[in-house]
Amino acid sequence: MAKKYDVMIVGSGHAGCEAARACARMGLNTAMVTMNVDLIAQMSCNPAVGGIAKGHLVREVDALGGVMGEVTDAVGIQFRLLNTSRGPAVWSPRAQCDKKQYRIHMKSVLEREPNLRILQGEVCGVLIDDSGGRRRAIGVRLHDGRELLAGAVVITTGTFLNGLAHIGEQTYECGRNGESPAVMLGNQLRGLGLRWTRLKTGTPPRLDGRTIHWDRFEAQPGDAIPTPFSFLTSKIDRPQIHCHIAYTSPEMHRLIAENVHRSAMYSGRIEGIGPRYCPSIEDKIVKFPDKDKHQLFLEPEGLDTNEVYVNGMSTSLPYDVQAQMIASIEGLEDAEMIRAGYAIEYDAIDARELNHGLELKQIESLFLAGQINGTSGYEEAACQGIVAGINAARKLQNKPSVVVPRTEGYTGILVDDLISKGADEPYRMFTSRAEFRLHLRIDNADDRLTPVGREVGLVQDDRWELFRRKQDQRARIEKWLHETKRSGEKLSVLIKRQGTRIEDFRPEIVTMLGEEPAHGVLTVVETEIKYSGYLAQQERQIERMKEAGGRLIPCGFDFGGIPGLSTEVRFKLEQVRPETLGQAGRIPGVTPAAIAVLDVYLSLRSQNAS
Amino acid sequence: MSLQHTIAAISTPAGRGGIGVLRLSGAEARSIATQVLRFSQPPAWEPWRAFLAELEDAEGTVIDQVVVTYYAAPRSYTTEDVIEIACHGAPVVLRAGLDRLLHAGARLANPGEFTLRAFLNGRLDLPRAEAVHDLIQATTLYQARVAAQQIDGAVSRRLKPLKERLLGLITLLEAGIDFAEDDIDVAAAAQIIERLDPLLAQSRALAKSYAYGKLVHDGLSLAIVGRPNAGKSSLFNRLVEQDRAIVTDIPGTTRDVVSETASLNGLPVKFIDTAGIREGGDQVESLGIERSYAAMADADCTLLVIDLSQPADAFDAELAARLTGPSLIVGNKCDLPRQNPTECLPVSALTGEGIDALRQHIHDLVAPEGIQEAGFLTSLRHARLLDEVVLALERAKVATSEQVPHEMLLLDLYSALTPLDAITGATTADDILNRIFATFCIGK
Repeated sequence: MAKKYDVMIVGSGHAGCEAARACARMGLNTAMVTMNVDLIAQMSCNPAVGGIAKGHLVREVDALGGVMGEVTDAVGIQFRLLNTSRGPAVWSPRAQCDKKQYRIHMKSVLEREPNLRILQGEVCGVLIDDSGGRRRAIGVRLHDGRELLAGAVVITTGTFLNGLAHIGEQTYECGRNGESPAVMLGNQLRGLGLRWTRLKTGTPPRLDGRTIHWDRFEAQPGDAIPTPFSFLTSKIDRPQIHCHIAYTSPEMHRLIAENVHRSAMYSGRIEGIGPRYCPSIEDKIVKFPDKDKHQLFLEPEGLDTNEVYVNGMSTSLPYDVQAQMIASIEGLEDAEMIRAGYAIEYDAIDARELNHGLELKQIESLFLAGQINGTSGYEEAACQGIVAGINAARKLQNKPSVVVPRTEGYTGILVDDLISKGADEPYRMFTSRAEFRLHLRIDNADDRLTPVGREVGLVQDDRWELFRRKQDQRARIEKWLHETKRSGEKLSVLIKRQGTRIEDFRPEIVTMLGEEPAHGVLTVVETEIKYSGYLAQQERQIERMKEAGGRLIPCGFDFGGIPGLSTEVRFKLEQVRPETLGQAGRIPGVTPAAIAVLDVYLSLRSQNAS
Repeated sequence: MSLQHTIAAISTPAGRGGIGVLRLSGAEARSIATQVLRFSQPPAWEPWRAFLAELEDAEGTVIDQVVVTYYAAPRSYTTEDVIEIACHGAPVVLRAGLDRLLHAGARLANPGEFTLRAFLNGRLDLPRAEAVHDLIQATTLYQARVAAQQIDGAVSRRLKPLKERLLGLITLLEAGIDFAEDDIDVAAAAQIIERLDPLLAQSRALAKSYAYGKLVHDGLSLAIVGRPNAGKSSLFNRLVEQDRAIVTDIPGTTRDVVSETASLNGLPVKFIDTAGIREGGDQVESLGIERSYAAMADADCTLLVIDLSQPADAFDAELAARLTGPSLIVGNKCDLPRQNPTECLPVSALTGEGIDALRQHIHDLVAPEGIQEAGFLTSLRHARLLDEVVLALERAKVATSEQVPHEMLLLDLYSALTPLDAITGATTADDILNRIFATFCIGK
């Protein structure tokens, strides 16, 4: 008799880990199947978490009750808060992690979940029941023939689906460097009648740190006071390491120009589309020939390893060229390469096949998260993992799916963008994707999302108590600032002025509270006071957007019945089947005129109905 | 409002021109027309061809000879079957014809419903639909040309460089925020101001051009005032090029305000002939004088007509003192020996001398310098949107000098972009990202 679980998570990368823990914490009997239990939460590219907009995503995952922030705080070796020359809305934390420790720590965190089982095995197919007219996932089949039944299945296979790596003229099938690809599962998914595509990503070479002349490079220290990712972490006092900044050399540019035809990217061997924001070094040289040098970062991969990641030098040039390129940089003349950079192509499903819960519209109870949906980045993966996990669990609990609105989180933007637009290139989060950026800050992610996490049963008491305390402190501080005067002026007015900081009043605030303010609470209060004008302006826009975009498009609405829509627009609407007029407007190629037509039709329809 | 019905309406404005058109649109257009028209032979309904027919009243009496044109779907204005019946313009005939069409099964079209259908059926985008409305309303050829240019997107074209500049600045700041890890310099306040200033100048100029655009669109009222018998009515007739006002040599003949709209170098100008202004006189006349003062106050500009063949007069000076707003002193009767040295534009309403120069002067009086035919704003909606752009850019400038963080400054810049988008089409986050990737070398 086959073993039966509530939820089956396929894959144990950054999406899989979040999905698994969310389901387990929400009380479901959860299993996570991975090809290799030693490589859970492997950081296949740069061992860094966060960065601009990505740091926001991690905070949101954490606020919902996710795990990525805690693990990063535990194993980070260099923390930096980015964008501090701008306002608090775009401050974003980044941490260089110890690659091996990240894996180990994540595994031990997951192993502490009583409802979670971790299994090793290769999933070669999803079991699909198509009795009753509608396809539904009911479990998975393993390579060894076992069938594991489940009420819902979440697939988080990263780059493993028909993965194919390229180094120069050579190609080899792999899921990640040195690991087997998922070919059988990939082929099954290709045959399910879902739209799919090939995407590409790349990674740079790793050098032996002992062979680098470190003194020739400018050191990039971490912040004196590290900014943690998790709302649960009050302080990080581990010693920080330095990264180093290097630059490409004219010789390197010459080598690339001469050998670019040998790059897998340029020889036409790669069919997948790569991300423009993460171009290979050959791309940078070819597309920006006027730029005489490009920045590179030398980033240690851990405390007890010699491997150094050459950030900025992603490449698919042959091994010998990579070696010469490295040697052309002053300070790296003697550097030895441990692993070469490579490009990898993999299958991705068109995310327009999904609904807001990240469940396939065509196949019930089958959820997809992470790179399989066309994204790139650990943070984007983790965020989808927690969304898919929560919604798989909600499905089994017979509860409606949880949709974070675009106005309330990058999480909402990520999901809405993916399912409305699909991804022509691996999708990465940027703050400019947020219509209401000022509202979506790292300091208030808990405000926005911890109540949601609590509601679904993912936020446990410790986090909830902390959150409540912070809310309480915040209210008291705000009241105090409004009531306390200095030289005839309210403090809340003084703080609006340039040059006056809430930190100036910290000792009095501590006295007033009778305790230290919770981490981040002063920033929230200060931001909301200092920029109240802009925040209010944004609030009004949010209201308008809710009004304008809120008109619901009935399920099964016949877009074909509207002659005013061009065939192209109609096709795009049919493809996505948007749930609201606002979502329809965000589909590329759906023109404002088409939205106006739809709006008129929908209002005529509701008039006729009433 | 259902879009299934065949609709009918009189599609030329009442009282204009020698031809009135009845228009039908919808699937039933042909069968409805057949019930109302009498043909010499059964109609072949060959599309895009005009043919003759007779329009009958309810009793079967022929009331007009008409020209019928059939536009087959989808190659018609509304993309539905459209039939146009051109009649001889008498309002009573048109109304009778429309009645017949409605009895035969058509529904009376709501105002603008033909254009709405064209729009809904994908025939027109929003700015074009607005411009079509203007075209229908056009009184002068010049107006029609401006409206036609707007249909071709002259406004969008004029706004494009402005929008490009704005997007360039937004791209610079967005790249700085999202790619702070790459070596993109933080834009300095001075650099931002340097880019904001031309943006502001351009959008202010556009916002201002509405004043002229409004004149082209709405027309301009011009009051002609002066002492009795200075020749106001003759001048009025000269300017409107028809004998509209009663001209006599008895002072005070024009007891009431007479007005007529005529084209002045393309501008539709409503010329208002006022009663001769003179103190005293009989009661009717002083009533007329009151109206003249009122007309002066209401008009967009004023012509004070003085009589050059008579010596200067304290009364003229007093009238001149009453002039407010754009105005011009015109010395009439320059064909006679000149008795009056007052500085003025000499004309002769009798011979036509100086009239062309006068027309040009009036035009220059109201048209801003260097205004171009294409590209000024004629729609109040567009003007309001441009005002929003200006306000948002002004806020952005203040914010920049106050060192407000860039993500907030961007809020002002997007507030300036949104109204432009409302005219030229939306800008998406992906558009901005595409610009960033095209401009900067991004990525690790």
